[in-house]
Amino acid sequence: MTWHAVTIAGYLLVVAGIVVLQLLATKTRVPVPSFGELLSRAMRSRTGRVGVLVAWAWIGLHFFAR
Amino acid sequence: MAALAGFRAPVVWILLAIAFFTSISGKPVDGVLMLIVAVGLAWDAGRRALRHPEAAEAPAPPRADRLPGRRRRFVVIALLAGAVVYAGVVGSFSRYSWPATAAIIGLSTGVVLIGWHRPVRARPDGGRLPVAGTLAWIVVLVAGCLWELSSLYLQPSLTTDSYPHPTISTLTDPLLATSPGRMLVLLAWVAFGWYLVER
Repeated sequence: MTWHAVTIAGYLLVVAGIVVLQLLATKTRVPVPSFGELLSRAMRSRTGRVGVLVAWAWIGLHFFAR
Repeated sequence: MAALAGFRAPVVWILLAIAFFTSISGKPVDGVLMLIVAVGLAWDAGRRALRHPEAAEAPAPPRADRLPGRRRRFVVIALLAGAVVYAGVVGSFSRYSWPATAAIIGLSTGVVLIGWHRPVRARPDGGRLPVAGTLAWIVVLVAGCLWELSSLYLQPSLTTDSYPHPTISTLTDPLLATSPGRMLVLLAWVAFGWYLVER
């Protein structure tokens, strides 16, 4: 197995973890918050709100802006 | 001391760190914008702490949901059409060009300013989150960030891609090299921003 494949497998594992947690939160009674609930909690304070919105803005800047 | 309340927020320090690391990795525009937000947030928190020391970190009440059904539907359709036009136009610009930079900075600034004080729509308070489930999310998200960071630092340099250790940016390059790919990603980015200002 090459390092390229290992690196991609790592990313896929993280994506799988996110999907599993979201499914547990929305389709079962396991006490796991959904991603939306997590965001709402993080955005309850003003610094949290701005922090999350700036993280979103940074994604756009990183991929498209000079 | 109340004036320094803003610097007690971890988000401010995270933004300052991002501003520093983004600047030294060759993206000074991102760095300056992060610095402006970090200083603005610290100043805002300090100002509120001076006025109302007990409410410095208290959430602002959401705006009242004043739009009636038909009006709201019209606004949603207009925003949807605007998002599609925005993604189409900005996606036609090449990446890292000045027109693309201006369009991204313009929308980002607008969304951060709209969402700065409170959500645009009233939402019920979800109460406390289950600790174990929240920790599981934190573990997965931090693991993702560390994996990306390790790939970044295993590159020959911060600005040179590596085939054995690709970052998310490297993996998405083929998609973002095409105009339809950029339009799709921009549409998803705009939709996620809309979702966030409503939370």
